[in-house]
Amino acid sequence: MLLFSPSTSQYRRFADADLDEDVIVVAPENAVNADTYVELPLEFDNVRDRIRFGIEGSLERGLVETEDEVACSVRVFDGDPDGVVRVRVTESMRSGIYDLFANSRAEPGVIRDVFEVAIELGKKGQKGKPVGALFVVGDAGKVMNKSRPLSYNPFEKSHVHVGDPIVNVMLKEFSRLDGAFVVSDSGKIASAYRYLEPAAKGVDIPKGLGARHMSGAAITRDTNATSIVLSESDGLVRAFKGGELILEIDPEGY
Amino acid sequence: MAGTPAAAVEGSHAAARVHAPLPAGTATLGQLDPEGIGGVLSAVPRSVWLGLAVAMVGIVGAILLGALTTRLLVRLGVPDAVEGTAFDRTAREFDTSTVEVLGTLVRLFVLGVTFLSVLAVADIAVASGFWGRTVEFLPQAFFALVILIVGVVVGDKVQLVIGERLTGIKLPEAGIFPRLAKFTVFYVAVLIALSQLGVATLALVVLLAGYLFAVVFLGGLALSDLLKSAAAGSYLLLEQPYAIGDEVEIGGRRGVVQEVNLFVTHIEDDGEEFIVPNSTVFETGAIRVRE
Repeated sequence: MLLFSPSTSQYRRFADADLDEDVIVVAPENAVNADTYVELPLEFDNVRDRIRFGIEGSLERGLVETEDEVACSVRVFDGDPDGVVRVRVTESMRSGIYDLFANSRAEPGVIRDVFEVAIELGKKGQKGKPVGALFVVGDAGKVMNKSRPLSYNPFEKSHVHVGDPIVNVMLKEFSRLDGAFVVSDSGKIASAYRYLEPAAKGVDIPKGLGARHMSGAAITRDTNATSIVLSESDGLVRAFKGGELILEIDPEGY
Repeated sequence: MAGTPAAAVEGSHAAARVHAPLPAGTATLGQLDPEGIGGVLSAVPRSVWLGLAVAMVGIVGAILLGALTTRLLVRLGVPDAVEGTAFDRTAREFDTSTVEVLGTLVRLFVLGVTFLSVLAVADIAVASGFWGRTVEFLPQAFFALVILIVGVVVGDKVQLVIGERLTGIKLPEAGIFPRLAKFTVFYVAVLIALSQLGVATLALVVLLAGYLFAVVFLGGLALSDLLKSAAAGSYLLLEQPYAIGDEVEIGGRRGVVQEVNLFVTHIEDDGEEFIVPNSTVFETGAIRVRE
Protein backbone atom coordinates (compact mmCIF):
# COMPACT_ATOMS: atom_id res chain seq x y z
CA MET A 1 0.00 0.00 0.00
CA LEU A 2 1.57 3.25 -1.11
CA LEU A 3 0.15 6.47 0.28
CA PHE A 4 1.09 9.53 -1.74
CA SER A 5 1.25 12.72 0.31
CA PRO A 6 -1.36 11.59 2.85
CA SER A 7 -2.81 13.88 5.45
CA THR A 8 -2.01 13.02 9.05
CA SER A 9 -5.51 11.70 9.78
CA GLN A 10 -5.49 9.54 6.66
CA TYR A 11 -2.11 8.08 7.55
CA ARG A 12 -3.22 7.43 11.13
CA ARG A 13 -6.27 5.54 9.86
CA PHE A 14 -4.09 3.24 7.79
CA ALA A 15 -1.39 2.88 10.40
CA ASP A 16 -3.84 2.04 13.18
CA ALA A 17 -5.88 -0.37 11.06
CA ASP A 18 -3.22 -3.08 11.50
CA LEU A 19 -3.24 -4.14 7.86
CA ASP A 20 -1.45 -7.24 6.64
CA GLU A 21 0.21 -5.14 3.94
CA ASP A 22 2.98 -2.66 4.57
CA VAL A 23 2.07 0.99 4.44
CA ILE A 24 4.62 3.15 2.64
CA VAL A 25 4.34 6.90 2.65
CA VAL A 26 5.59 8.72 -0.44
CA ALA A 27 5.73 12.48 0.02
CA PRO A 28 8.05 15.45 -0.45
CA GLU A 29 8.64 15.44 3.30
CA ASN A 30 7.80 13.10 6.11
CA ALA A 31 5.15 15.31 7.66
CA VAL A 32 3.24 12.39 9.21
CA ASN A 33 6.31 10.79 10.84
CA ALA A 34 5.79 7.50 9.05
CA ASP A 35 8.12 4.59 9.73
CA THR A 36 8.51 3.59 6.10
CA TYR A 37 8.88 6.68 4.03
CA VAL A 38 10.11 7.38 0.50
CA GLU A 39 11.03 10.92 -0.34
CA LEU A 40 9.39 12.41 -3.41
CA PRO A 41 11.81 15.13 -4.47
CA LEU A 42 9.51 16.67 -7.03
CA GLU A 43 5.77 17.02 -6.61
CA PHE A 44 5.12 15.35 -9.94
CA ASP A 45 1.90 16.67 -11.39
CA ASN A 46 1.60 13.72 -13.69
CA VAL A 47 0.10 10.84 -11.71
CA ARG A 48 1.97 8.20 -13.71
CA ASP A 49 5.32 9.83 -13.00
CA ARG A 50 4.47 10.20 -9.36
CA ILE A 51 3.48 6.56 -8.99
CA ARG A 52 6.47 5.38 -10.97
CA PHE A 53 8.80 7.42 -8.82
CA GLY A 54 7.23 6.16 -5.62
CA ILE A 55 7.45 2.54 -6.71
CA GLU A 56 11.00 2.98 -7.94
CA GLY A 57 12.00 4.50 -4.64
CA SER A 58 10.38 1.62 -2.77
CA LEU A 59 12.18 -0.83 -5.06
CA GLU A 60 15.54 0.78 -4.40
CA ARG A 61 14.91 0.75 -0.68
CA GLY A 62 13.85 -2.89 -0.84
CA LEU A 63 10.36 -2.13 0.44
CA VAL A 64 8.70 -3.82 -2.53
CA GLU A 65 9.92 -6.42 -4.98
CA THR A 66 9.24 -7.04 -8.64
CA GLU A 67 6.00 -8.88 -9.36
CA ASP A 68 4.49 -7.41 -6.19
CA GLU A 69 1.14 -5.75 -6.57
CA VAL A 70 0.77 -2.42 -4.89
CA ALA A 71 -2.20 -0.18 -4.30
CA CYS A 72 -1.44 3.50 -4.62
CA SER A 73 -3.62 6.12 -3.01
CA VAL A 74 -2.94 9.26 -5.02
CA ARG A 75 -4.27 12.71 -5.63
CA VAL A 76 -5.43 13.10 -9.23
CA PHE A 77 -7.26 16.37 -8.85
CA ASP A 78 -6.52 19.14 -6.39
CA GLY A 79 -7.11 18.51 -2.72
CA ASP A 80 -6.95 15.27 -0.79
CA PRO A 81 -5.96 11.93 -2.31
CA ASP A 82 -8.91 10.85 -4.40
CA GLY A 83 -7.83 7.84 -6.42
CA VAL A 84 -6.54 4.33 -5.85
CA VAL A 85 -4.48 2.67 -8.57
CA ARG A 86 -3.42 -0.97 -8.61
CA VAL A 87 0.02 -1.40 -10.12
CA ARG A 88 2.13 -4.48 -10.78
CA VAL A 89 5.77 -3.75 -10.06
CA THR A 90 7.99 -4.62 -12.99
CA GLU A 91 11.72 -4.42 -13.54
CA SER A 92 11.20 -1.82 -16.28
CA MET A 93 10.17 0.64 -13.63
CA ARG A 94 13.78 1.11 -12.62
CA SER A 95 14.54 4.15 -14.70
CA GLY A 96 17.14 5.72 -12.47
CA ILE A 97 15.10 8.76 -11.52
CA TYR A 98 15.07 7.81 -7.88
CA ASP A 99 18.76 7.05 -8.06
CA LEU A 100 19.31 10.48 -9.55
CA PHE A 101 17.88 12.18 -6.51
CA ALA A 102 18.71 9.84 -3.71
CA ASN A 103 22.20 8.69 -4.65
CA SER A 104 23.66 11.80 -6.19
CA ARG A 105 26.55 13.55 -4.58
CA ALA A 106 24.58 16.70 -4.09
CA GLU A 107 21.77 16.82 -1.58
CA PRO A 108 18.36 15.75 -3.00
CA GLY A 109 16.88 19.12 -2.09
CA VAL A 110 19.54 20.91 -4.12
CA ILE A 111 18.86 18.78 -7.18
CA ARG A 112 15.17 19.40 -6.74
CA ASP A 113 15.71 23.16 -6.49
CA VAL A 114 17.83 23.19 -9.64
CA PHE A 115 15.18 21.11 -11.39
CA GLU A 116 12.55 23.60 -10.38
CA VAL A 117 14.59 26.51 -11.75
CA ALA A 118 15.18 24.65 -15.02
CA ILE A 119 11.52 23.70 -15.32
CA GLU A 120 10.35 27.21 -14.63
CA LEU A 121 12.85 28.60 -17.08
CA GLY A 122 11.65 26.08 -19.66
CA LYS A 123 8.05 27.06 -19.08
CA LYS A 124 8.42 30.79 -19.33
CA GLY A 125 11.71 31.26 -21.09
CA GLN A 126 13.71 34.40 -20.63
CA LYS A 127 11.47 37.35 -21.50
CA GLY A 128 9.23 35.08 -23.50
CA LYS A 129 11.97 33.62 -25.66
CA PRO A 130 13.04 30.02 -25.19
CA VAL A 131 16.43 29.73 -23.52
CA GLY A 132 18.82 26.94 -22.83
CA ALA A 133 20.68 26.41 -19.61
CA LEU A 134 23.18 23.99 -18.18
CA PHE A 135 23.52 23.33 -14.47
CA VAL A 136 26.26 21.09 -13.14
CA VAL A 137 25.32 20.08 -9.59
CA GLY A 138 27.67 18.53 -7.05
CA ASP A 139 31.37 17.73 -6.94
CA ALA A 140 31.97 21.40 -7.66
CA GLY A 141 35.69 21.30 -6.86
CA LYS A 142 36.40 18.75 -9.55
CA VAL A 143 34.07 20.41 -12.01
CA MET A 144 35.84 23.72 -11.50
CA ASN A 145 39.15 22.03 -12.21
CA LYS A 146 37.80 20.57 -15.43
CA SER A 147 36.45 23.82 -16.71
CA ARG A 148 37.55 27.38 -17.19
CA PRO A 149 35.88 30.74 -16.93
CA LEU A 150 34.55 32.32 -20.08
CA SER A 151 34.43 35.69 -18.41
CA TYR A 152 34.25 37.32 -15.02
CA ASN A 153 32.29 35.12 -12.62
CA PRO A 154 29.22 37.04 -11.45
CA PHE A 155 28.89 34.81 -8.39
CA GLU A 156 32.43 35.39 -7.15
CA LYS A 157 32.57 36.26 -3.44
CA SER A 158 28.86 35.81 -3.15
CA HIS A 159 27.36 33.17 -0.94
CA VAL A 160 24.04 32.45 -2.52
CA HIS A 161 22.26 29.12 -2.63
CA VAL A 162 19.76 27.73 -5.09
CA GLY A 163 16.21 27.51 -3.84
CA ASP A 164 16.17 31.08 -2.58
CA PRO A 165 13.47 32.86 -4.66
CA ILE A 166 15.71 35.88 -5.30
CA VAL A 167 18.57 33.65 -6.38
CA ASN A 168 16.27 31.81 -8.74
CA VAL A 169 15.46 35.11 -10.41
CA MET A 170 19.20 35.83 -10.64
CA LEU A 171 19.80 32.42 -12.19
CA LYS A 172 17.13 33.11 -14.77
CA GLU A 173 18.68 36.46 -15.61
CA PHE A 174 22.12 34.94 -15.95
CA SER A 175 20.82 32.11 -18.08
CA ARG A 176 21.32 34.26 -21.14
CA LEU A 177 25.04 34.01 -20.55
CA ASP A 178 26.78 31.25 -22.37
CA GLY A 179 28.40 28.48 -20.37
CA ALA A 180 27.41 26.40 -17.38
CA PHE A 181 26.32 27.12 -13.82
CA VAL A 182 28.34 25.18 -11.28
CA VAL A 183 26.48 24.36 -8.07
CA SER A 184 28.15 22.77 -5.05
CA ASP A 185 26.89 19.78 -3.04
CA SER A 186 25.17 22.03 -0.53
CA GLY A 187 23.58 24.20 -3.20
CA LYS A 188 26.00 27.11 -3.23
CA ILE A 189 26.40 28.59 -6.67
CA ALA A 190 30.14 28.41 -7.26
CA SER A 191 30.23 29.98 -10.67
CA ALA A 192 28.37 30.95 -13.80
CA TYR A 193 29.87 31.46 -17.25
CA ARG A 194 31.88 28.27 -17.03
CA TYR A 195 33.22 26.51 -20.11
CA LEU A 196 33.34 22.78 -19.42
CA GLU A 197 36.33 20.88 -20.74
CA PRO A 198 35.66 17.21 -20.09
CA ALA A 199 36.94 14.44 -22.25
CA ALA A 200 33.88 13.89 -24.41
CA LYS A 201 35.26 10.88 -26.22
CA GLY A 202 32.83 8.00 -26.28
CA VAL A 203 30.00 9.78 -24.53
CA ASP A 204 26.80 8.39 -25.93
CA ILE A 205 23.82 10.71 -25.91
CA PRO A 206 20.78 10.56 -28.16
CA LYS A 207 21.25 11.98 -31.62
CA GLY A 208 19.96 15.43 -32.22
CA LEU A 209 21.22 16.92 -28.99
CA GLY A 210 23.74 19.70 -29.25
CA ALA A 211 26.99 20.84 -27.71
CA ARG A 212 25.36 21.90 -24.43
CA HIS A 213 23.99 18.43 -23.80
CA MET A 214 27.21 16.83 -24.94
CA SER A 215 29.41 18.77 -22.53
CA GLY A 216 26.80 18.39 -19.79
CA ALA A 217 26.78 14.62 -20.26
CA ALA A 218 30.54 14.35 -20.57
CA ILE A 219 31.31 16.25 -17.36
CA THR A 220 29.19 13.81 -15.38
CA ARG A 221 31.33 10.95 -16.62
CA ASP A 222 34.55 12.62 -15.56
CA THR A 223 33.22 13.72 -12.18
CA ASN A 224 30.53 12.67 -9.73
CA ALA A 225 28.37 15.59 -10.69
CA THR A 226 24.83 15.56 -12.06
CA SER A 227 23.99 17.72 -15.05
CA ILE A 228 20.59 19.27 -15.54
CA VAL A 229 20.18 20.68 -19.01
CA LEU A 230 17.38 22.77 -20.43
CA SER A 231 17.30 22.49 -24.19
CA GLU A 232 16.80 25.68 -26.12
CA SER A 233 15.46 23.91 -29.19
CA ASP A 234 12.87 21.49 -27.81
CA GLY A 235 12.38 22.97 -24.34
CA LEU A 236 12.85 19.67 -22.51
CA VAL A 237 14.74 19.33 -19.24
CA ARG A 238 17.18 16.42 -19.21
CA ALA A 239 19.33 15.07 -16.44
CA PHE A 240 22.62 13.29 -16.97
CA LYS A 241 24.60 11.21 -14.56
CA GLY A 242 27.64 9.06 -15.16
CA GLY A 243 27.61 10.23 -18.78
CA GLU A 244 24.14 8.84 -19.41
CA LEU A 245 20.75 10.38 -19.94
CA ILE A 246 18.70 9.52 -16.85
CA LEU A 247 15.59 11.64 -17.02
CA GLU A 248 13.77 13.63 -19.63
CA ILE A 249 10.82 15.75 -18.67
CA ASP A 250 8.65 18.28 -20.38
CA PRO A 251 8.36 21.50 -18.33
CA GLU A 252 4.84 22.00 -19.64
CA GLY A 253 3.73 18.90 -17.72
CA TYR A 254 4.49 20.42 -14.30
CA MET B 1 -77.26 96.39 32.64
CA ALA B 2 -77.22 93.36 34.82
CA GLY B 3 -76.05 91.38 31.89
CA THR B 4 -73.27 93.71 31.05
CA PRO B 5 -71.36 93.64 34.34
CA ALA B 6 -71.78 89.90 34.39
CA ALA B 7 -70.51 89.86 30.92
CA ALA B 8 -67.85 92.27 31.94
CA VAL B 9 -67.03 90.13 34.90
CA GLU B 10 -67.14 87.13 32.67
CA GLY B 11 -65.02 89.04 30.22
CA SER B 12 -62.64 90.12 32.89
CA HIS B 13 -62.63 86.59 34.19
CA ALA B 14 -61.92 85.39 30.76
CA ALA B 15 -59.32 88.05 30.40
CA ALA B 16 -57.97 87.14 33.76
CA ARG B 17 -58.00 83.48 32.78
CA VAL B 18 -56.33 84.29 29.55
CA HIS B 19 -53.85 86.49 31.25
CA ALA B 20 -53.35 84.36 34.25
CA PRO B 21 -51.04 81.74 32.69
CA LEU B 22 -48.70 84.34 31.34
CA PRO B 23 -47.59 85.90 34.63
CA ALA B 24 -47.54 82.46 36.14
CA GLY B 25 -45.30 81.28 33.30
CA THR B 26 -42.98 84.19 33.61
CA ALA B 27 -42.90 83.65 37.31
CA THR B 28 -41.68 80.03 36.98
CA LEU B 29 -39.23 81.01 34.29
CA GLY B 30 -38.00 83.78 36.48
CA GLN B 31 -37.66 81.34 39.34
CA LEU B 32 -35.60 78.92 37.28
CA ASP B 33 -33.43 81.54 35.74
CA PRO B 34 -31.95 83.46 38.61
CA GLU B 35 -32.12 80.85 41.31
CA GLY B 36 -32.73 77.52 39.41
CA ILE B 37 -29.64 76.82 37.25
CA GLY B 38 -27.47 79.01 39.35
CA GLY B 39 -28.87 77.32 42.37
CA VAL B 40 -28.16 73.85 41.03
CA LEU B 41 -24.74 75.01 39.89
CA SER B 42 -23.96 76.55 43.21
CA ALA B 43 -25.63 73.72 45.11
CA VAL B 44 -23.28 71.17 43.57
CA PRO B 45 -19.74 72.14 44.45
CA ARG B 46 -17.47 73.16 41.59
CA SER B 47 -15.09 70.33 42.36
CA VAL B 48 -17.82 67.82 41.53
CA TRP B 49 -18.29 69.37 38.10
CA LEU B 50 -14.58 69.18 37.58
CA GLY B 51 -14.64 65.60 38.76
CA LEU B 52 -17.41 64.77 36.29
CA ALA B 53 -15.48 66.36 33.46
CA VAL B 54 -12.37 64.45 34.41
CA ALA B 55 -14.41 61.26 34.56
CA MET B 56 -15.83 61.88 31.07
CA VAL B 57 -12.39 62.65 29.64
CA GLY B 58 -10.99 59.62 31.42
CA ILE B 59 -13.64 57.24 30.06
CA VAL B 60 -13.27 58.57 26.52
CA GLY B 61 -9.49 58.45 26.88
CA ALA B 62 -9.64 54.89 28.18
CA ILE B 63 -11.76 53.72 25.25
CA LEU B 64 -9.59 55.55 22.72
CA LEU B 65 -6.30 54.42 24.24
CA GLY B 66 -7.51 50.83 24.52
CA ALA B 67 -8.56 50.79 20.88
CA LEU B 68 -5.31 52.51 19.90
CA THR B 69 -3.22 49.96 21.78
CA THR B 70 -5.08 47.09 20.16
CA ARG B 71 -4.67 48.54 16.68
CA LEU B 72 -1.03 49.41 17.25
CA LEU B 73 -0.27 45.89 18.41
CA VAL B 74 -2.14 44.44 15.45
CA ARG B 75 -0.18 46.75 13.14
CA LEU B 76 3.08 45.57 14.66
CA GLY B 77 2.11 42.01 13.81
CA VAL B 78 1.83 40.95 17.43
CA PRO B 79 -1.16 38.58 16.86
CA ASP B 80 0.85 36.56 14.31
CA ALA B 81 3.94 36.63 16.48
CA VAL B 82 2.20 35.30 19.57
CA GLU B 83 0.02 32.79 17.75
CA GLY B 84 0.28 29.33 19.21
CA THR B 85 1.68 30.39 22.57
CA ALA B 86 0.00 28.96 25.65
CA PHE B 87 -1.12 32.41 26.80
CA ASP B 88 -2.74 33.19 23.48
CA ARG B 89 -4.46 29.82 23.39
CA THR B 90 -5.80 30.33 26.89
CA ALA B 91 -6.98 33.79 25.91
CA ARG B 92 -8.71 32.29 22.88
CA GLU B 93 -10.54 29.81 25.07
CA PHE B 94 -12.12 32.80 26.78
CA ASP B 95 -13.05 34.21 23.38
CA THR B 96 -10.48 36.96 23.44
CA SER B 97 -6.85 37.29 22.39
CA THR B 98 -3.55 38.49 23.78
CA VAL B 99 -3.93 41.82 22.05
CA GLU B 100 -7.45 42.22 23.41
CA VAL B 101 -6.23 41.41 26.91
CA LEU B 102 -3.51 44.05 26.67
CA GLY B 103 -6.00 46.58 25.28
CA THR B 104 -8.38 45.86 28.14
CA LEU B 105 -5.52 46.25 30.61
CA VAL B 106 -4.66 49.68 29.21
CA ARG B 107 -8.34 50.61 29.40
CA LEU B 108 -8.58 49.47 33.01
CA PHE B 109 -5.40 51.32 33.88
CA VAL B 110 -6.65 54.58 32.42
CA LEU B 111 -10.00 54.06 34.13
CA GLY B 112 -8.23 53.45 37.41
CA VAL B 113 -6.17 56.59 37.05
CA THR B 114 -9.33 58.48 36.15
CA PHE B 115 -11.14 57.13 39.17
CA LEU B 116 -8.35 58.20 41.48
CA SER B 117 -7.99 61.62 39.90
CA VAL B 118 -11.75 62.09 40.16
CA LEU B 119 -11.46 61.31 43.85
CA ALA B 120 -8.58 63.77 44.15
CA VAL B 121 -10.28 66.53 42.17
CA ALA B 122 -13.61 66.08 43.91
CA ASP B 123 -11.76 66.37 47.16
CA ILE B 124 -13.35 63.27 48.59
CA ALA B 125 -11.24 62.50 51.58
CA VAL B 126 -12.20 58.88 52.02
CA ALA B 127 -9.25 57.50 53.93
CA SER B 128 -6.91 59.72 51.96
CA GLY B 129 -3.88 57.87 53.23
CA PHE B 130 -5.12 54.63 51.66
CA TRP B 131 -5.90 56.28 48.31
CA GLY B 132 -2.61 58.13 48.35
CA ARG B 133 -0.73 54.89 48.62
CA THR B 134 -2.92 53.34 45.95
CA VAL B 135 -2.10 56.20 43.59
CA GLU B 136 1.57 55.46 44.00
CA PHE B 137 1.04 51.74 43.69
CA LEU B 138 -1.27 51.65 40.69
CA PRO B 139 1.25 52.41 37.88
CA GLN B 140 3.72 49.97 39.42
CA ALA B 141 1.12 47.24 39.59
CA PHE B 142 0.05 47.99 36.05
CA PHE B 143 3.58 47.78 34.68
CA ALA B 144 4.30 44.68 36.72
CA LEU B 145 1.23 43.02 35.21
CA VAL B 146 2.14 44.08 31.67
CA ILE B 147 5.72 42.84 32.17
CA LEU B 148 4.40 39.52 33.45
CA ILE B 149 2.10 39.07 30.47
CA VAL B 150 4.81 40.08 28.00
CA GLY B 151 7.23 37.75 29.79
CA VAL B 152 4.83 34.81 29.62
CA VAL B 153 4.07 35.41 25.94
CA VAL B 154 7.73 35.93 24.99
CA GLY B 155 8.75 32.86 26.99
CA ASP B 156 6.15 30.73 25.22
CA LYS B 157 7.23 32.11 21.88
CA VAL B 158 10.90 31.42 22.61
CA GLN B 159 10.01 27.85 23.48
CA LEU B 160 8.04 27.45 20.25
CA VAL B 161 10.77 28.95 18.06
CA ILE B 162 13.59 26.92 19.59
CA GLY B 163 11.40 23.81 19.48
CA GLU B 164 10.78 24.36 15.77
CA ARG B 165 14.46 24.80 15.17
CA LEU B 166 15.21 21.55 16.95
CA THR B 167 12.56 19.43 15.19
CA GLY B 168 15.22 18.39 12.69
CA ILE B 169 17.09 16.71 15.53
CA LYS B 170 15.13 13.61 16.42
CA LEU B 171 16.45 13.43 19.95
CA PRO B 172 14.14 13.36 22.96
CA GLU B 173 16.78 15.00 25.16
CA ALA B 174 16.80 18.05 22.90
CA GLY B 175 13.38 18.88 24.32
CA ILE B 176 14.99 20.33 27.42
CA PHE B 177 16.44 23.36 25.64
CA PRO B 178 13.19 25.05 24.64
CA ARG B 179 11.80 24.56 28.15
CA LEU B 180 14.98 25.87 29.74
CA ALA B 181 14.82 28.98 27.58
CA LYS B 182 11.14 29.44 28.40
CA PHE B 183 11.63 29.27 32.14
CA THR B 184 14.62 31.60 31.96
CA VAL B 185 12.46 34.21 30.28
CA PHE B 186 9.67 33.61 32.83
CA TYR B 187 12.13 33.97 35.67
CA VAL B 188 13.52 37.24 34.37
CA ALA B 189 9.98 38.57 33.79
CA VAL B 190 8.90 37.66 37.31
CA LEU B 191 12.06 39.25 38.65
CA ILE B 192 11.42 42.52 36.85
CA ALA B 193 7.77 42.50 37.88
CA LEU B 194 8.67 41.89 41.52
CA SER B 195 11.28 44.65 41.55
CA GLN B 196 8.69 46.88 39.92
CA LEU B 197 6.45 46.21 42.91
CA GLY B 198 9.28 46.96 45.27
CA VAL B 199 9.67 43.45 46.65
CA ALA B 200 13.17 42.60 47.82
CA THR B 201 14.62 40.55 44.94
CA LEU B 202 18.31 40.58 45.74
CA ALA B 203 18.48 36.84 46.41
CA LEU B 204 16.69 36.09 43.15
CA VAL B 205 19.04 38.42 41.24
CA VAL B 206 22.03 36.64 42.74
CA LEU B 207 20.50 33.32 41.69
CA LEU B 208 19.97 34.66 38.17
CA ALA B 209 23.53 35.94 38.00
CA GLY B 210 24.86 32.57 39.06
CA TYR B 211 22.69 30.80 36.51
CA LEU B 212 23.66 33.15 33.68
CA PHE B 213 27.31 32.88 34.61
CA ALA B 214 27.07 29.11 34.44
CA VAL B 215 25.30 29.22 31.09
CA VAL B 216 27.73 31.72 29.56
CA PHE B 217 30.86 30.22 31.05
CA LEU B 218 30.07 26.57 30.45
CA GLY B 219 28.46 27.33 27.11
CA GLY B 220 31.52 29.29 26.06
CA LEU B 221 33.73 26.47 27.20
CA ALA B 222 31.69 23.91 25.29
CA LEU B 223 31.30 26.01 22.18
CA SER B 224 34.79 27.50 22.09
CA ASP B 225 35.90 25.34 19.17
CA LEU B 226 32.76 26.12 17.21
CA LEU B 227 33.08 29.83 17.95
CA LYS B 228 36.72 29.83 16.90
CA SER B 229 35.83 28.07 13.68
CA ALA B 230 32.95 30.44 13.04
CA ALA B 231 35.21 33.46 13.51
CA ALA B 232 37.77 32.00 11.13
CA GLY B 233 34.98 30.91 8.77
CA SER B 234 33.52 34.39 8.56
CA TYR B 235 36.94 35.62 7.45
CA LEU B 236 37.21 32.83 4.89
CA LEU B 237 33.76 33.55 3.52
CA LEU B 238 34.34 37.29 3.33
CA GLU B 239 37.83 37.30 1.91
CA GLN B 240 37.80 33.98 0.07
CA PRO B 241 41.54 33.28 0.19
CA TYR B 242 40.61 30.02 -1.48
CA ALA B 243 37.43 29.13 -3.33
CA ILE B 244 35.69 26.01 -4.55
CA GLY B 245 37.95 24.22 -7.00
CA ASP B 246 41.29 25.45 -5.62
CA GLU B 247 43.84 22.90 -4.51
CA VAL B 248 44.95 23.58 -0.95
CA GLU B 249 46.71 21.96 1.95
CA ILE B 250 45.34 22.63 5.41
CA GLY B 251 46.74 20.93 8.47
CA GLY B 252 48.48 18.29 6.39
CA ARG B 253 45.35 17.49 4.36
CA ARG B 254 45.79 18.18 0.71
CA GLY B 255 43.06 18.24 -1.88
CA VAL B 256 40.52 20.18 -3.88
CA VAL B 257 38.18 22.49 -2.01
CA GLN B 258 34.62 21.26 -2.45
CA GLU B 259 32.79 23.45 -0.02
CA VAL B 260 33.49 26.28 2.40
CA ASN B 261 30.95 27.10 5.06
CA LEU B 262 30.93 28.91 8.36
CA PHE B 263 32.41 26.11 10.46
CA VAL B 264 34.25 23.71 8.18
CA THR B 265 35.99 23.38 4.85
CA HIS B 266 35.49 20.24 2.79
CA ILE B 267 38.66 19.13 1.04
CA GLU B 268 38.51 16.17 -1.28
CA ASP B 269 41.37 14.09 -2.47
CA ASP B 270 40.88 10.94 -4.52
CA GLY B 271 37.53 9.98 -3.08
CA GLU B 272 38.52 10.97 0.45
CA GLU B 273 36.74 14.00 1.74
CA PHE B 274 38.33 15.72 4.72
CA ILE B 275 36.13 17.96 6.78
CA VAL B 276 38.56 20.42 8.33
CA PRO B 277 37.42 22.86 10.99
CA ASN B 278 38.07 26.42 9.88
CA SER B 279 39.99 27.17 13.06
CA THR B 280 42.75 24.90 11.70
CA VAL B 281 43.24 27.33 8.84
CA PHE B 282 44.27 29.98 11.36
CA GLU B 283 46.25 27.66 13.57
CA THR B 284 48.36 26.01 10.92
CA GLY B 285 47.75 28.25 7.94
CA ALA B 286 46.71 27.05 4.52
CA ILE B 287 48.83 26.31 1.49
CA ARG B 288 47.39 27.10 -1.88
CA VAL B 289 48.88 24.79 -4.44
CA ARG B 290 49.57 26.42 -7.75
CA GLU B 291 51.29 24.46 -10.45
